[in-house]
Amino acid sequence: MKILEEKRLNIFLDKLGKQAQLFDVRESILPPKRYFFPSREITFTFDKKSKSLSSQKAPKDFILFGISLKDLEAITYLDEIMQKPARDDFYFNKRDKSILIGLTGKEFNVAPGGDIILRKLKNDEYEVVVVTKKGEKFLKRLDFPFTCLPAGKEEKDRVEYKISKSKTMVELHGLLSDPELLHDAVKWSWQGYPEIWDKLAGECLNCGICTYVCPLCHCFSVEDEMDLSGDECRRCRKWDACTLPEFAKVAGGIGRPGHSFHKGVKERYYNWFYHKFVRGYLEFGKSQCVTCGRCKKYCPARIDIEEVLLEIMNRFKKIKN
Amino acid sequence: MQNIYEPIPVKIQKIEIYSGDVKLFRMAKLDGSPFPLNQNGLVFVPGQFVLAGLWGYGESPFGPASHPNDSSCIEVVVRKVGQVTSALHSLEEGDELTLRGPYGNGYPIDFFREKDVILITGGCGIPPIASLVEYIISNRSDFGEVNLLYGATTPEDLLMKERMNEWKRRINVTLTVDKPACNWDGNTGFVTDCLEHLKINSANTVVAMCGPGPMVDAIENLLNPMGIPDRRIFVSMERKMQCGVGRCQHCVCGDKYVCVDGPVFNLDEIDKAWDK
Repeated sequence: MKILEEKRLNIFLDKLGKQAQLFDVRESILPPKRYFFPSREITFTFDKKSKSLSSQKAPKDFILFGISLKDLEAITYLDEIMQKPARDDFYFNKRDKSILIGLTGKEFNVAPGGDIILRKLKNDEYEVVVVTKKGEKFLKRLDFPFTCLPAGKEEKDRVEYKISKSKTMVELHGLLSDPELLHDAVKWSWQGYPEIWDKLAGECLNCGICTYVCPLCHCFSVEDEMDLSGDECRRCRKWDACTLPEFAKVAGGIGRPGHSFHKGVKERYYNWFYHKFVRGYLEFGKSQCVTCGRCKKYCPARIDIEEVLLEIMNRFKKIKN
Repeated sequence: MQNIYEPIPVKIQKIEIYSGDVKLFRMAKLDGSPFPLNQNGLVFVPGQFVLAGLWGYGESPFGPASHPNDSSCIEVVVRKVGQVTSALHSLEEGDELTLRGPYGNGYPIDFFREKDVILITGGCGIPPIASLVEYIISNRSDFGEVNLLYGATTPEDLLMKERMNEWKRRINVTLTVDKPACNWDGNTGFVTDCLEHLKINSANTVVAMCGPGPMVDAIENLLNPMGIPDRRIFVSMERKMQCGVGRCQHCVCGDKYVCVDGPVFNLDEIDKAWDK
């Protein structure tokens, strides 16, 4: 078993930084999705003079350090999303160049993703868990002098499973173990419990922050930009949010207002839930949430999606029983 | 392998001006090569859509209006309604634009075979229906009685009149307008009025529609009592589209992605969707 002592963490990071561009994502507000699916990226550049089209170049290798277990899980899920129904080159060009290093104080039985995970032990030490071949190769190349412990010693040294002590999305974590029930309840709520959506429509500020900070939300819009000479056109893909008013709006012609298929906050906010817990389940067999808690933490209206789901679930169970 | 979002360059071969704000663009591949065919030997299935665009302005979805067997060109009808369509309207023959697709499913033409077909559309909803008509006419003996009901606000708003004269020889065409002009000898009123006068064999009839939501609702309310269930009524849905491949989320309609599961749905599939 390879061990990294906490006091040598900075030396380890220095060494990582010499291998490739290093991003330390500990305490990051925005989720790691931004390194593979940036908030704004130029997908194609078209030169009007030469009529030539160039696409985004593959980046150099980079390392993300300090990813939480939940974010590792989200990246694995996002990999799945970006593969279906057709492979998203812009995402995978970057994803393929990344080395993901997780950092966790929590116990895990099965690694939720990433290439290497540093698992905190009791004595200010991390166990270096190699998850993928890519991670194994990388460590070999890194040639870092880890401390080696004999096998079998690790079990008793592990810190306790912390998730039950944390106040973040604990009950939601439980709900997610039955995504089919969650699917049924959220789908039912639109007509069965409209009061909750009316209430949320009055609270939601349409700011889109919940979707930007979500490690799984992946709505985007495509916009063209011109350079000042007018010769170069850049097609940009930008994060969008299904809670924003323009999201499902189509043009209506001269003198006509157009039409939005999600006409109010209520429809838009419900659509966000619907994607995560209904459509997401139908597409991937699981809800599109890893209970990272960012949406709740950064919502300026203090909407707590865990509370919302619990309220729906309680009402649903009462009616169904 | 080509990037799924990368468009191909095409050239405008011909522009037909239909009215003040509607133009037809016939597009051919820049190198003159034919458009690739699908397994059925078609350039696209009528009802599928393409994303046509202009660098610097973006892309918009259009249901091609051309004959689906004609691999030399793809025709789209563009009504000037927003940024992209206004930019397309400023183009001239010979100008270049971009194309992606075809995307989506199209009308289930194999299911339509051996059946009577009613085609209903209004205003600018004619293009995908037009390509379906072209397909039916090319394979006329495969289909039973075919009726096209097409309504518009004024006679000037009825598009593709020349083509329609050809169609009239092979299928029944009923045109109707809300506001007739003095030289108008067709029907006055909504397409629903025309539908009520149609004699149909409901057990063996399928319906293909492309038009605004209220028209679709009104027709559904008429067809169901006539004995045509929602699963035999096919409608092409309009939504905002950005990616075309079921990822960006703009076009979602309940459980469905209009860009990959549609844009053609039978009413049974989408009737319960809450986001209309």
